[in-house]
Amino acid sequence: MKREIRIALTGNPNVGKTTLFNALTGSRQHVGNWPGVTVEKKTGKASRNGFEFEVVDLPGTYSLTAYTADEVVARDFILEERPDIVVQVVDATNLERNLYLTTQLAELGVPVVIALNMADMAEAQGNPIDYRKLSAFLEIPVVRTVGTRGEGLKDLLDAAIREAETSLHHEHTIGYGNETETMIASLADALSADGDLAGRYPLRWLAVKLLEGDENVLAKVRGGPASTRVEEILSRIDPDEYEALMADKRYEAIAAVLPQVRKANLKEMRPSDMVDRVVTDRYLGIPIFLALMWGAFELTFTVATPFMTAIDAAFAWLAGFVAGSIEPAWLASLIGDGIIGGVGSVLIFLPNIFILFLILAILEDSGYLARAAFIMDRPLYALGLPGKSFVPMLIGFGCNVPAIMATRSIEGEKDRLLTILVNPFMSCSARLPVYILFAGVFFPEQAGSVVFFLYVLGIVVAITSAKLFRSTILPGEASPFVMEMPPYRIPTAMTALLHMWSRGSMYIRKAGTITLLGVLVVWFLASFPYGVEYGSAESFAGMIGHLLEPLVAPLGFDWKVAVALIFGFIAKEIVVGSLGTLYATGEETLPAALLADPGLSAATALALMVFVLLYTPCVAALGVIRKETGSWKWTGFSVAYGLVVAWILAFVVGHVAGLFMGGM
Amino acid sequence: MSDTTKLVFGAVLGALYVVIGLFQIIGAVIGPLPGFDAFYLTGNLFSGFVLLVVGAVFIAGVRKLAAGAGEGAIFVSVGVLLSVAFGLVELLALCAMGVDAYLVGEWADWSAADSMNPLLYLAVIGAVGFLAWGRTFLRGLSAA
Repeated sequence: MKREIRIALTGNPNVGKTTLFNALTGSRQHVGNWPGVTVEKKTGKASRNGFEFEVVDLPGTYSLTAYTADEVVARDFILEERPDIVVQVVDATNLERNLYLTTQLAELGVPVVIALNMADMAEAQGNPIDYRKLSAFLEIPVVRTVGTRGEGLKDLLDAAIREAETSLHHEHTIGYGNETETMIASLADALSADGDLAGRYPLRWLAVKLLEGDENVLAKVRGGPASTRVEEILSRIDPDEYEALMADKRYEAIAAVLPQVRKANLKEMRPSDMVDRVVTDRYLGIPIFLALMWGAFELTFTVATPFMTAIDAAFAWLAGFVAGSIEPAWLASLIGDGIIGGVGSVLIFLPNIFILFLILAILEDSGYLARAAFIMDRPLYALGLPGKSFVPMLIGFGCNVPAIMATRSIEGEKDRLLTILVNPFMSCSARLPVYILFAGVFFPEQAGSVVFFLYVLGIVVAITSAKLFRSTILPGEASPFVMEMPPYRIPTAMTALLHMWSRGSMYIRKAGTITLLGVLVVWFLASFPYGVEYGSAESFAGMIGHLLEPLVAPLGFDWKVAVALIFGFIAKEIVVGSLGTLYATGEETLPAALLADPGLSAATALALMVFVLLYTPCVAALGVIRKETGSWKWTGFSVAYGLVVAWILAFVVGHVAGLFMGGM
Repeated sequence: MSDTTKLVFGAVLGALYVVIGLFQIIGAVIGPLPGFDAFYLTGNLFSGFVLLVVGAVFIAGVRKLAAGAGEGAIFVSVGVLLSVAFGLVELLALCAMGVDAYLVGEWADWSAADSMNPLLYLAVIGAVGFLAWGRTFLRGLSAA
């Protein structure tokens, strides 16, 4: 029978943890959420030498001090779930910062194995790490790994097996100096009165955390038998002072080890640093970033075109087959006009979605996106947004739901709220089909540039809104941002494809669920009351559309667009799906039907794309906004503000474009 | 390749990128310029912007090299990488358009010249620099 070993994979952000997780578990993965919080939980399976491993990928964290939701999740899992082995993924090119977390793990007394990752890069930089010596110093197994190439994985699992099989684990202590050690001893003594706590956690670790002012640990002590004495001791000290002092001591300990396990840095600048001189240049950094983004959208639009043509042809054939072979007529209409017309017009954009995600994965894996965050920090900070908000904003290009969840890494409450409120303006992938459809139909020669313009407009509206909120409803100063940039890497095809799939497959799932449901509702509304012409003004859809038409008529939209926009509230893809259903005109494709509609022009199309970019977040995003802000007031504000901004800008853009192109 | 060669190479390519980029932007604002058909200046604001950015990276490198700052060579090398990268983007776009024309049965009417872009033919010159020293630079970068 196979013995099971549970491994918790932890480490700083950007150390190749997820790459290692993917390499260890391959396709045997499950993605969910940690209970009670909106931090992604990834688990996977691996096997080796008769052992079955359950690998849990913990959120990236710099320490176990539990300031952010990610840190709390990582720490609670290690403390409460007690995995058999904690594998800390350490970036060999940035040993000092990474070993800080090691000192905290070691203090916990949990069995740790270190995966010394990116060891090849450290060697290429002339900084090879003597991992055997490091292991001897730390008294922790250290395995050399290169996650991107899958090197060292077997050794890592073997080390985990050995550690799991041995019962010899002990806490590693760092000497914090006489005065601090006396305080630690007093607190540990006081804590020993609480048998329950003493049975669950190392007393020294609890004492250290209390001295650091860890609210999470203090909450565990409060109300217990040790509470009074502990609080009496803590009332005599300044936790900030102790926290700084203990951090210094940990770094001193690390500094003592480092010179003995690695060679000194080369005096010459690394090629990575040299390139950073250019791509993070004060004047050239942002233009280079924008140029690369343009390239990404140019590729997203053009390279996908033949794939779209093929999918379009397949759906056209399917629709023709259904129309000619299914009876009764209402069923043929349901399947042909409703399901195939609606879902088909959404699925046709699958190649665009996958290509965009592939490009973003390549940029992320190469290390460039970290530079983009760095160069955007200065303008964001100047506009009142915390630099850390750039990462959730970038994630917003994929989907606003995880992007809003990702704001949990932002400490300041106002900073976080600000980032949540402006995040829906970052154009998520669900809006891309609308752009591609209308840009392709009305701006065939410059479609990529039009899509790029919309993404840039979303960013501009987001940061302008942030500036507005910062000077009105959320006054204050943004928190500064300190980040380290990972070295450049040539992304591997497998990693990039896995990233692309994990993000892009969500689009397929939505097409088969919420989009399908949405287009079925639209089909029903377009087909009834019984006897009316499908999609006519007399149908329920027509009635709803005509009711709303006065609101959108100044923007140049007719009732069909009004209906599509209403259903886009459920999910933005449904705008296209609804149009596909409402414009279902036999053999004619949706682009041809749109082009033939005299009510639509290039200027109207531009206004519509701007409206879809900016108007209310979808239902899922609103649910997350409600959850993360804990307030219906802010959720309602997000809807109202988005609608007002969308209406005004669509009106302005449409009419200005109309002056040049006509048609408004 | 010596810094002098990089300086000359960067100056020539930088000037080409900047001038053609400006023409692209002017063409986008006032319409395609007559007499420049051979340069495929379609008048595209965004590709004009990209041409200017790549040109600016070259020019920044040339200015630093002229002032004796060794890091100018890095700017020229990154300019070469950007030149080749955007050339590849346009090449892929061109191929995709060709495939699409074939799929929809318009192959006979399709011409690569219709989809030609300055970013593509300027990248051919950039590729010379890439072959000369860009590959070594890229290898060093990915190993760093």
